[in-house]
Amino acid sequence: METFVFYIFSAFMVLSALMVISVNNPVKAAFFLVLSFFASAAIWLLLEAEFLAIILVIVYVGAVMVLFLFVVMMLDINMVQIKKGFVNNLPLAVAVAIAMFATIFFVVGGESFSQSVFTIPDRHGADYSNVAELGKVLYSDYVYSFEIAAVILLVGIIAAISLTLRRRPNTRHQKIEDQIAVKSKDRLQVVKVDAQPRKYEPAKEEQK
Amino acid sequence: MLDLILSIYKIPVINILVKIIVIMVPLLLTVAYFTYAERKVIGYMQVRIGPNRVGPRGWLQPIADAMKLMFKEIIFPSDANKVLFTIAPTLAIATALAAWAVVPFGSELVLADINVALLYILAMTSIGVYGIILAGWSSNSKYAIMSTLRTAAQVVSYEIAMGFALVGVVMAARSLNIGDIVEGQSSSIWGWYMWPLLPLFVIYFISGVAETNRAPFDVAEGESEIVAGFHVEYSGILFAIFFLAEYANMILISIMAALMFMGGWLSPFEGVSALGLGDSFLAGSSIIWLLAKTAIFMFLFLWFRATFPRYRYDQIMRLGWKVFIPITIVWIYVVGLMYYLELAPWFIKG
Amino acid sequence: MLENYLPVLIFMGVGLLVGIGMTAAGLILSPHRPDREKNSPYECGFEAFEDSRMKFDVRYYLVAILFIIFDLEIAFLFPWAVVLDSIGTFGLVAMAIFLGLLVVGFIYEWKKGALEWE
Repeated sequence: METFVFYIFSAFMVLSALMVISVNNPVKAAFFLVLSFFASAAIWLLLEAEFLAIILVIVYVGAVMVLFLFVVMMLDINMVQIKKGFVNNLPLAVAVAIAMFATIFFVVGGESFSQSVFTIPDRHGADYSNVAELGKVLYSDYVYSFEIAAVILLVGIIAAISLTLRRRPNTRHQKIEDQIAVKSKDRLQVVKVDAQPRKYEPAKEEQK
Repeated sequence: MLDLILSIYKIPVINILVKIIVIMVPLLLTVAYFTYAERKVIGYMQVRIGPNRVGPRGWLQPIADAMKLMFKEIIFPSDANKVLFTIAPTLAIATALAAWAVVPFGSELVLADINVALLYILAMTSIGVYGIILAGWSSNSKYAIMSTLRTAAQVVSYEIAMGFALVGVVMAARSLNIGDIVEGQSSSIWGWYMWPLLPLFVIYFISGVAETNRAPFDVAEGESEIVAGFHVEYSGILFAIFFLAEYANMILISIMAALMFMGGWLSPFEGVSALGLGDSFLAGSSIIWLLAKTAIFMFLFLWFRATFPRYRYDQIMRLGWKVFIPITIVWIYVVGLMYYLELAPWFIKG
Repeated sequence: MLENYLPVLIFMGVGLLVGIGMTAAGLILSPHRPDREKNSPYECGFEAFEDSRMKFDVRYYLVAILFIIFDLEIAFLFPWAVVLDSIGTFGLVAMAIFLGLLVVGFIYEWKKGALEWE
């Protein structure tokens, strides 16, 4: 059963990853990326890394890809323009790809991933909590890297703001504080008006 | 014959499928009659009668609606991306339903008793936004795409507030398992997490209203400005599916609020000996309590819609970022302090 | 542990089937008579002018980026809340510092006006 599920999701992942780079429309590519994230989350789940699997879905599928789609949806990409040099550059691209694959293969190689290096993790009982195990080490042994992560996120906030924040002139804000603090005399002016209207004095010319 | 049925039932997959149907059919029926209830409740609030023609007192109205939409033409707008246009509603309903897999209905009544149930529900709601994005983009309509951006930005903003509110619950229960969270609230009505986490409770529910794009946060489909928003081009059954997904999500938000903050299936009279209820039905925990509490929140959704005028978009963003997020962060510090001081009956160190 | 996830997987499948089944039923049962005007994108009775995929305010992107950052912070908070009992005061202080850094970033955002929606 597990093996069956594993192969289904791996096939899903590989196929959708292939579609990401081969499909024409960038929005569709982004959706296939979502699908491959989802499939890899399922594979993590098979390794009993339930927390990581769900966080992968929440953070990558739910947050990062939304940003991707925001950008990609609004781009006006002319696919004909992009595809123009495809055939001419194909041999070079294939050569580079083979060279890269060979380098990676010789450096890390197949045996680095064999089962003699990574043993299959033990199966845990129904009450095993991956989250608790993770939490116990993260906030004690690795607390230093945990705090560094906070600093990196802080840098991320500042970088995002300084890169994208543009003040537009002539925009109007609602200032809630001012609205609440307003007194009746700021808005309303009481003008004394005579109760009796002045007597109408018709012009003399008309009476003639 | 009975033996045969029993032996088929014992096959794990069949067993699970039967349970799924037992959850799904009442859920879909509730969704159908929730739409009826909405029209009735709002009707009475506006001194009208509401639907009353189809069947006795209009009871068959939702079924008539479903049948009508089923036989209506599905219009594909020109230049729309047909495949994505058709998939979008399916994605919306699948995520809205899938979240129900981990919702417990009693201490033993749960389909998938997983440890990270709360996170799983959060994950499913965050995938749900793709149905809207996909629909808006593939329609190739200005109103649809405008609403898509609004919705996505609104949903993600309120998801942060909601996430922080859930962190407060997890701090109180020290578990992500919803069953454990409910059990953590037992003892008496004072044990419910809505008391120590009151601001988080309120923020959770309001964020839930905003996440489901319901009034007064319905700028995504504001009829009077962007004419139904992301599903403006949808017709027939595809539109009905979006409708179903929205209502299923509303019920999900309601039942989660009942489970996490109001003690789920626990009785409000638990531990009150003065009333002399003893071990009677009223004092015991049962699914009826859970459903009753859920119904309160479902009614609130309708009440909100009948009462509040729609927020302006800048006001929505302001409320999410400048009011809810600061309050939740401060309250997480407060909960941390309460935990440190071991405030009874909620924070007893295990 | 994995056996608890089997129902979830099946539930997702059933959810998809409900969606696909309803879509298929609608496609089969409903009439299909397209015409050019009926199929044109809705635009309050106007002829559609310009492409509907338009450029948008950069503010939407900023919201999305900030959301990612806050989402990550929340992801760190959940396992912490689960193991509160076993990490003691040390863990409480560690998270107070972590959240404090987030608050610094949040105040920066606020003061810079990044939360202002115009």
